Order: sequence, then C-alpha cells, then structure tokens
Amino acid sequence: MAGGLPTRPSAWGGLTDVLDTSAKRRFALLLILAAMVAAPLVLGTYATVILTNALLYVVLALGLNIVVGYAGLLDLGFAAFFAVGAYTVGISTLEFGLSFWLALPLAIFFAVIAGIIIGAPTLRLRSDYLAIVTLGFGEIVRISARNLRATGGASGLSGIEQPWLFGWHISTPLDFYYVFCVLAVLAVFVSVRLANSRLGRAWLYVRHDEDAAEAMGIDRVRVKLAAYVVGAIYGSIGGAFFAVNLGAISPESFSFRQSVLILMAVILGGMGKIPGVILGAFIVILAPELLRDFGDLRLLIFALGLLLIMLFRPSGIWPARGKG
Amino acid sequence: MPMMKMKTAAAGLALALIFGAPSFAQDTLTIGVLVPTTGSEATYGQDMANAVTLAISEINEAGGVLGKQLASIVADDACDAQQAVNAASKLASSGVVGIVGGYCSGATVPTLKIFGDAKLPMVIPAANSTKLIPANPGNTFMINSTGNDQVAKAQEFFTAHDIKSIAIVNQGDAYSQDLADLTQKSWEAAGNTVTAFETTNKGEQDYSAVVTSIKSGNPDAVFWTAYYADGGLLIRQLREAGYQGLIAVGDGSNSPELFKIAGPAAEGVIAFSNPTAEFLPAAKAFAESYSEQFGSAPGPYSTLTYDATKLLAWAITTAGSTDYDKVVATLASADFTDTISGPISFTPEKTLARSNFVVLEGKGGAWTLAE
Amino acid sequence: MSYFDIFAHQLVNGIVLGSFYALVALGYTMVFGVVKLLNFAHGELYMVGGFAGFLALSFLAPLVGAGWSGVALSMVLAMLAVGFLGVVIERVAYAPMLSAPRLSILITALAVSLVLQNGVLTLTNGQYTPFGSALGFGGINLGSLFISYNQMILVGTAGALMFGLELFVSRTQYGRAMRAVSVDKDMCRLMGINVGAIIAVTFFLGSALAAAAGTMAGAFYGSLWYFMGFLIGLKAFTAAVIGGIGSIPGAMLGGLILGLLESFGTQLPGVGSEWKDVFSFSVLILVLVFKPTGLLGKSEQERM
Repeated sequence: MAGGLPTRPSAWGGLTDVLDTSAKRRFALLLILAAMVAAPLVLGTYATVILTNALLYVVLALGLNIVVGYAGLLDLGFAAFFAVGAYTVGISTLEFGLSFWLALPLAIFFAVIAGIIIGAPTLRLRSDYLAIVTLGFGEIVRISARNLRATGGASGLSGIEQPWLFGWHISTPLDFYYVFCVLAVLAVFVSVRLANSRLGRAWLYVRHDEDAAEAMGIDRVRVKLAAYVVGAIYGSIGGAFFAVNLGAISPESFSFRQSVLILMAVILGGMGKIPGVILGAFIVILAPELLRDFGDLRLLIFALGLLLIMLFRPSGIWPARGKG
Repeated sequence: MPMMKMKTAAAGLALALIFGAPSFAQDTLTIGVLVPTTGSEATYGQDMANAVTLAISEINEAGGVLGKQLASIVADDACDAQQAVNAASKLASSGVVGIVGGYCSGATVPTLKIFGDAKLPMVIPAANSTKLIPANPGNTFMINSTGNDQVAKAQEFFTAHDIKSIAIVNQGDAYSQDLADLTQKSWEAAGNTVTAFETTNKGEQDYSAVVTSIKSGNPDAVFWTAYYADGGLLIRQLREAGYQGLIAVGDGSNSPELFKIAGPAAEGVIAFSNPTAEFLPAAKAFAESYSEQFGSAPGPYSTLTYDATKLLAWAITTAGSTDYDKVVATLASADFTDTISGPISFTPEKTLARSNFVVLEGKGGAWTLAE
Repeated sequence: MSYFDIFAHQLVNGIVLGSFYALVALGYTMVFGVVKLLNFAHGELYMVGGFAGFLALSFLAPLVGAGWSGVALSMVLAMLAVGFLGVVIERVAYAPMLSAPRLSILITALAVSLVLQNGVLTLTNGQYTPFGSALGFGGINLGSLFISYNQMILVGTAGALMFGLELFVSRTQYGRAMRAVSVDKDMCRLMGINVGAIIAVTFFLGSALAAAAGTMAGAFYGSLWYFMGFLIGLKAFTAAVIGGIGSIPGAMLGGLILGLLESFGTQLPGVGSEWKDVFSFSVLILVLVFKPTGLLGKSEQERM
C-alpha cells in the first residue's frame, strides 16, 4: 500500500458531489422520508414485511460495516451479536417477565460484553486468522443456543410478546415497519457521525497501517475493541427488535449463513460507504423474494455475484468517488 | 444521479412485488400449503404438496366446494422456524381459506399463532410433537398421532420382545427431543433402564463418539428419534462398530431413502410409523393415481396429507361457508370416515383420537409390516 | 465396558478422525506456505472431492464393483479431477488478487467457497447423497474392542498418502522448490524458479489430498452432503494451527491431536457429543491466543 496518510474518505461515497447544495440535500431528504412513510400504505402488507426485513438488514449491515469497512476487521461471525440481542430479549421477557424496554438495555449491555469477549482474542491476529476465529465464535454462539435448554434448544423460543409504547401496541407489520424505519435512520445517523469523528479517523489509520497508527499515539487495542463493541451494539439492537417482530427465534437464524448474508450486504453495495451498504441490504433482501421461484439457485446466483464483484469491481456496486 | 437511480430501482422492484402477488378469481377457494420444499426434508414436503394437488383435482372433478373450485399455493418452510414464519405470513396475507401442512414440528410450532391470528383453520398431516399442543390457539387440528401414541407403540413392541434396556438418540429439535423425552419417561416409569441419552448435531457425519458411548452401556436396543438422513449414518456406524442389538427408529425416519444411506446395515431395523400407502388396502386407488400423475410412488405422508385436504374441504362444505368459527367447530366435532388412513375424529386437544401407529421392519431394502 | 476399553475405543476413533483432519489440514498448510493465504474454499474441495468420488464410483461400480478396489480407483480419479479444479481456482480467482488488499482476497476466497457450496446445493437439492459403496463390516476383535477392516484401510491409506507427500517434498526438485518459495517468493523468482508453476503444483497436491479425504469419508460414512465441507474446513484449519501453520509435519500432527482431543473430549463430564464442535473451536481460540505458532511452526513477526 502507498505510504503517507490516506485522505479522509467521504462516508457518503459520491453522494456529496451530487447533492452539493444544502437545498438539494434537503429536497432529497424530504423525498426519502416521504417515500418511506408512504411505501407501506401504497404497497400492501406483504411488501411491507419485506421492506421491514430490508430495514433490519440496513441496521445489521451498517453495524458490520463499522467492523469490516471502517476498522478493516473481517468478522465472519457477526450473527453472534445478532443472536445476543434476540435471545436476551427472548429469555428476559419469557422467563423473567421483563418488559421489552428493560430487556433492550440489557441486550445492549450483553452486546458490549460479547464484543469484548470476541474481539479480545483477535487483537494480535492477522486478518486470515481473525476471520476464522470470529467464524468460530459465531458457531460457538449458535451451537450453544441450540444445545442449551435455557435458549429453547433447537426449536428456539416462541411466543415472545410484542411491546407496548405509551399505549401503542407495536404488533402489526405496519407498526414494525415504522419502528424499523426509525432504527435505520438512527443507524445511518450514528454511522455518519462516527465516520467523521476522531474514533472514525483512528479506525482508518489502524486499518491502513497498524504500526504507523501506534506510532502516532493511537491505542490499537482500544480502537479495535471499540469497533467490535459498536458493531455488536448495532447487531444486538437489530436482534432485539427482530425477536419481538417475529415472535419466535431459532438458532438457525444465527448461523454462518446469516453472517455471510450480512457481509454480502456490506460488500455488494460497497464496503465503507453508507449509501452502498443500504443498497446492499436492499439487494440482499429483495433479490431472494424476486428470485423465489429459483429456489436453491438464488443462493448460487448470489455467490457468483459476490465472486464477480470481487474480481471485477471490488469497490462494490455503488459508484466509487470518494476514497476509502 | 445515483440517488435517483437507486430509488427508481427500489420503486420498480416494489411494483414488481405488488403485481407479482397472486390474485384470485372470485370463484376459487385457495388452500395454503406449508411444507418443506427445499432442504434436507424436501422429498417429504414435495410428496405432501403433490398429495394436496391430487386431492384438489378429485374434489374439483366432483363439483368443488360450495360451488367453487379449489386451488392451492405452496409456501416453503425449509424445515426452519424463521423461514416457516415468513412463509406463514405470506400465506396468511394471500387470501387463503385454510391451511394444510406442517412436517417439521420445530418449524411448525411458531406458525400456529400466525394462522390463529389470521383466523385460518389448519390441518396438520405430519408434524406430531406434543409441543404443538400448548402452542395451539384453537385453530389447529393434528391428524397424525402424537408422540404419546408413538411412545406407547414403541414400548409395547420393546416389551413384547424382551427388551429391558435402551439407548435413546435424538437431535435436539422439537420433534425428536419430544419423542426422546417421552420415551425416556415412559420407559423408566415401567421399571426399565435407559443406558444412554444422546443428542447429536444435524449434518454430523462422524458418530464414533456416540457409538462408543452407546456400546459401552450395552443396551438391548437403540432408539433413534430424529430424521432419516442422519439416522441412516448412525445405523451404518453402529453396525460397523459391531453393535448387534435391535435398532429402532421413529416416524421421522421411515423413508425408503434410509436403506440407500444405511446400506445393508438397515436390514432388520424397526420403524414406528403411520401406515403408508403400501400398507393400506384402501389406498390402492390413491397410490395408482399418484404414480400416474407424478411418476413415483406416494411418499410416507402423502396419504395423511391427502386425507387432510379432503377433511378441510369436507369441513367447509358441511359448515356451509368459509367462516372461521363454523369451520373450526365442524372440525372439532368431526367423525370423518371418507379417508384412506382411517376414521378421523379429535380429542378436546384437537389431536387424533386414535393411535394410527404400526410397526415396520426393514427387509431386503424396503419396509414391510412387522406384525 | 471398563475405562480402559472406552479409552481404547476412543483412541481408535481419534486416530480415524484425525486421519481425515490431517489430510485436509495438509492442503491448508501447503497453500499457506507458498502464497501466505488461508484458502477459505479448501473445505469445499473436500466436499467436491467426495462428490467426484461418488460420480466416479457410479461409473466404475458396474466394472469393478463397489468394494475397496472400486473406491480406490474412484479416489484416484477424484484426486486428479479436484486437484485440477484447485489449480483452476487459483488461476482464476486468487492469482489476479494477490496484489489487492488482504481483505479483498479473503472475501474472494469466501466467495469461491460459497459458489462451490451453493453449486452443489443446487445440483443435489440439499439432499443427502448416498455414496453407494459396498465395503462390508468385517473386522478384528481385540477383547471388547472391535476394529473394522475399513478403519484400518482408511488410516493406512491416509498414512500412505502423507508419506508420499513427505517424500515428494523432501526428495524431489519440485518439493525443494516449494519449500524455497514458502521461505522467500521474490528471491525464488530472481533465481529463475517458475514460481507460478510451483504454486500451481502446490494447489494441485493440496486439493488432491482433500479430495482423497472426501472420497474416503463418503465411502466410510456412507453419504455426502453439500454442507459437509464447512465443518471439516474449520476443523482442518484448527488442526493446521495446532501443528503450526506452514509446517507439513505440523499438519499431520495437528490432525491427529485434534482427532484424539475430540474423541476423548466427549468423555469429559458435561461435554456430550453435541458440544464436540464448541470444544474444538475453543481449542482453536486458545491455541491462537497463547501459542499462535502452534507446536511445530516457526515464529513469525509479520502481521497483516
């Protein structure tokens, strides 16, 4: 890699070049908000469920984007964090009768712990090993969820109650759609702020050259752990709402396949660039629905797509304008 | 502008979804079919879907239901709870009047509430874990005898053959774990021993550790309560390791595929199962029509699924409408005899009121009736 | 059965299991040695090898039967086919990426593995495929311990293959060049060694060994599944790491150790067979944290 410090990348990819006046930006924002609010009313229940799914993956993919895209750590077991959030909510509401709004901070708490536990052993590893160790952790979490009676064994947990918020029972697909809209917007907002923060810059330097970063006074250990923890929080929040949305969770939702799907969302759209990751999440969710008739073939199509992108357009589908 | 492109693309995809959604003519009644058509249990699911198609074509020829023709849409649950929930949501919002389906108990359990909330009656021809009973919101009727009946049959058989100790192996899912737990309780309550209670992982190839564990307890019989694909491997490895005792399997393993996977080791294996088409005299015509239409023999659950479809159609006809409460009430008090697998009536828990289990034995690469 | 009997049983189980792990681990370690890349798709080559063996056997069985001779021939054919496949993958997917950022080549390897996995998934509809071998259940009895002929042939074959590899690496010119390339690739280029050809040979050998393991697994266990490469890939990686990545004897030793650990591990109280994999992964993580160079590996200061 070239020497010298990299210029700060635009997390927005090429978007800031296109939307260069604040008037244009406000217009684009209003357009998006209007579309998001109107979509379910225009498109019907089934489409709403699918879009909700896509928004969930936006949150998850943005979380993984922080670990992989910002900090350069190839985490192949991201579904573990997703699982932590989902099972924490499931177990606390079913076994201990906690309200969802108490279970949620608990889920975040466990996510932080999980982020540290999974991140710590990988700190001194080279990227290949890191990938496999995180994969191993992902499998450990899934297998434990499958074996322990506390997590419902292989059949998982069902009958998870849906939460109330000031008299509003969040139970219909429409309700969850709006909830996930809010989550996705928050996720984007936080991701942008992080990218432009000191921590975001530190991630960039560590990703580019760890030793140089260390020489500059950046604490490599804390920076890397921070990436895992933040990513874990995203994953866990996604998992928490996933659990109450579906009402039932099973270990197979947290397999390596799930981690790969989230990774694909990050890469297909364009690693590190927020609009790209959003696009990737939508592709990963909408394409299987449209390809439903192809059955197993659609997974193969996805895999081929990933391979072709890596060989010919490694920066992802989203046009690469800013660096990074 | 890339942003515009993305939104146009999203809008285009969304529109494709709405127009892609099925629309029904006013003169059809559609039944939703929830079965695994992909994954390791896909052959079962496909056979079940075929049986629904066959039943529907016969009903339509005889005039349909309430003057309307029947149709079906199949949704794949891939024997996975999350996919099952998605598939169930899809069916529930597709304008169907009832559901026939449910093979993997673990995947079926969370769908009961979805169908209950959507006010859809459901008839389950295969999934029979007792865990389905407490999850039933009142709309679900199981016509395959439950784990309790299977355990009773197994115990009866073991006792009649002087078996005092067994090892139980399951895979931790709702179906196999339920059957394993019930067997252990009942077996020990009768004063016998369970020498080992093992749980294996789905997809595992090497069972040497489990086999060694089992052998060390020297049980008279080994009872595998999970599905055929891994069961075949275990049977093979048990015999390879020199285990000479009886091997028995539950109804999740009564597939003809078991013989291909276990090879000669499957000789003499005992299976507890609902009677499949070849053992039901009343099913001969059905088996012939099935082979004619689909080019292969009916699967182990085709007869029950065929009957389930006919039951649902009959219930709607008898109730005089597709109104949920009327149909459910009709089903609950049913004494339906126009079946090939035997009369259908229900307990207050909406499970089959009689045990339909028989004992099969593997001989020369196929199943035969053992008694 | 007494404790000694159980010990003896698990010893045999461990050796058999370890042979599979060792064969696959060798491929990992050899490829890592020459291109410093963990071939994520390696486990899938084991799986594809099994299916290749199955296809070969279905052609050969009418001619030579489905016993050990049929299986042996199928294994050789599978090794050739998949060895070749390994080279193709290297040329098409990895060679162009060697100068790209590390992350990209790792993801490419992941993509290759997914393509292979999902390709076979589509072809088999996710069903188990019975291998179709007819190997018989004979064996010898040592007290209460029963060792089947199949187990002995398996371990013997694996041993022979590994011995052959060791001869190749230490005695032939190619072998010496391979070792040289794994020490310093650029130097080798300067010295006129055809590095590209050496890499190709390495991939061929590694993939062929994985295919041999896959075919034998199919013949021994009785069925094949599109997902069977995933787990063995991880286990084989663990074995390679235990033995010291980059070291060929290390891979063999690591495979054996892991097989024994797994078999004996299930005897520990509370660790039933359903925890077997968690046990192995924990071993992996512990080794990487405390002794990342493994037992026989060289100390490496390089990071990333």
